[in-house]
Amino acid sequence: MRTTYTFQLPKELNATCPPEKRGLRRDGVKLMVLNKQTGAIDHDCFYNLDQYLNKGDLLIVNNSRTIPALLKADWYRGQKFLKMNCEIRLARQLNEREWDVIIPQEGIQFGDIFHFSNNVIGKVTKVSEHSPFKRMEFTLGGVQLLHEIYKLGEPIRYEYIHQPYLLEDYQTVFGSIPGSMEMPSAGRAFTWELLEKLKRKGVQVASIILHTGLSYYLDDKWDHSPSLQFEEFVVPPNVIKQIQETKNKGNKVIAVGTTVIRAVETAIHTGKYSGWTNLYIDRDFKIISADGIITGFHEPEASHLHLLSSFVPESFLMKAYEEAIKHEYYWHEFGDMNLII
Amino acid sequence: MLKDQVVMITGASKGLGRALAMAFGEKGAKLAICARGQEKLRKVEKELRNMGVQVLAVQADASNPFDIERFVSITEKEFGKIDVLINNASVLGPSPMPILADYPADEFLNVLRVNAFGPFLVTKRVLPGMLLRNEGTIINITSEAGHIGYEGWGAYGVSKFALEGLTEIWAEELANTNIRMNMVDPGEMDTEMHQLAVIDCDYPLAKPEEIVDVFLYLVSKEGAHIHGQRIEAQKFLKRGENQ
Repeated sequence: MRTTYTFQLPKELNATCPPEKRGLRRDGVKLMVLNKQTGAIDHDCFYNLDQYLNKGDLLIVNNSRTIPALLKADWYRGQKFLKMNCEIRLARQLNEREWDVIIPQEGIQFGDIFHFSNNVIGKVTKVSEHSPFKRMEFTLGGVQLLHEIYKLGEPIRYEYIHQPYLLEDYQTVFGSIPGSMEMPSAGRAFTWELLEKLKRKGVQVASIILHTGLSYYLDDKWDHSPSLQFEEFVVPPNVIKQIQETKNKGNKVIAVGTTVIRAVETAIHTGKYSGWTNLYIDRDFKIISADGIITGFHEPEASHLHLLSSFVPESFLMKAYEEAIKHEYYWHEFGDMNLII
Repeated sequence: MLKDQVVMITGASKGLGRALAMAFGEKGAKLAICARGQEKLRKVEKELRNMGVQVLAVQADASNPFDIERFVSITEKEFGKIDVLINNASVLGPSPMPILADYPADEFLNVLRVNAFGPFLVTKRVLPGMLLRNEGTIINITSEAGHIGYEGWGAYGVSKFALEGLTEIWAEELANTNIRMNMVDPGEMDTEMHQLAVIDCDYPLAKPEEIVDVFLYLVSKEGAHIHGQRIEAQKFLKRGENQ
């Protein structure tokens, strides 16, 4: 069942820049710890995360790396030039040359051509009034296309970000395999120093890959349900084994972000360790992989909140969010963190 | 054999970098190589392909953050991991090398950028994948001029001193991991760079191909105990330490 969460997020609580640009370390952001059994709340600093985990617990991170998925191209219909510098947001790669993309421009037709550079052109091969996505076939594929994306693209930035922060600002420290359209932001506050501190305590760290799609389709008419959003994932079989072993020993498994939950639960439920997932998780879904989650703070309409309600009663979650607003926690990808455990 | 090992080498179109690419390719490694100059890079790529080596050759400046992001990301997308990183790309600066009092400031900064900042950036980008897998080998190429302050070795010497400091600090910070970081001083070799550094050199020089065994040893199981060391390649081979 889907619930609409209602709270007003004051504008000043949008994190408009990375913590490093506001005089903090990456791991110096605030940490709200929400006890999922009692609803009790602690306020701390993310660098003290080790205080809430025990020897033998398992932290699972997503090591997908953000690509510069925002491109600009000149729009043509046949030989006719229509508009220069149209924005095109990559949403997901379908095969070697074809991608689903979002083009905010109205009036796109099948067969329209987009000139990205002298090296790469895209042709619209599918337009549907029932989908926010246009399908685009590029003249290049594979590694060659990726080169061009890196040369031409910018990271996707939302309206509350006022400066053109670099792609590196949109990376987690463990982001390695490129493929996410937007940063898997729950992992952003981690530093290698903090991970080393956790390791010294005996906390295990494992990684999966889930390449994120777009969180917003630039038009409110489209449903953002995760069931319509297919994302590519890889869960190494040894991670599933590690989860089982951790639980057998009575330790906790903590997912760093909703992307981790999505990937691991898909692997467990389908028996497939890689592929595409559109798994939708809400309060009626029984999560079997993780006992806790590290996540950012989400907007009322975000599907992430539905996923969190599978961990913790909605009343606790809403109380925690009220408290977060009162204590001026920052929201979004450069914001503060929430540990639900 | 280094089958299924992915080896990344910066500055691989000539000199030691090229010799290393050939040596690792011959041993069956998959290669990710970069260089600034397209023509020589494509030539090396072709030679490697003719040898049956799986190679990703990317035109990139190993001191430019955007190029590094592109080079490493594409490598990880293509091969899924990087097992060995050899930070080989470097520049000498103006030749003949001016003494420090005469050294142009912009040239000085450029040499430091390429020879010290470059390896920092490439390593920082490659390390996450290695740390998550808890395995990997990183080798930085240094020089005797980065160990002893010789008159007339200008920014090159200063930059290699910086690289040696970087290697020592980073090796300490990686001490609790299975990632090994070492530096190799190849000694004087018959390369384009040496011709620019020691003009009219009148003594015999080693060929780059003669010292590649040190690198093969460092990435082998036999060399797995070596971490945080500075290895003088020619002396190391002479003593037969790789045997």
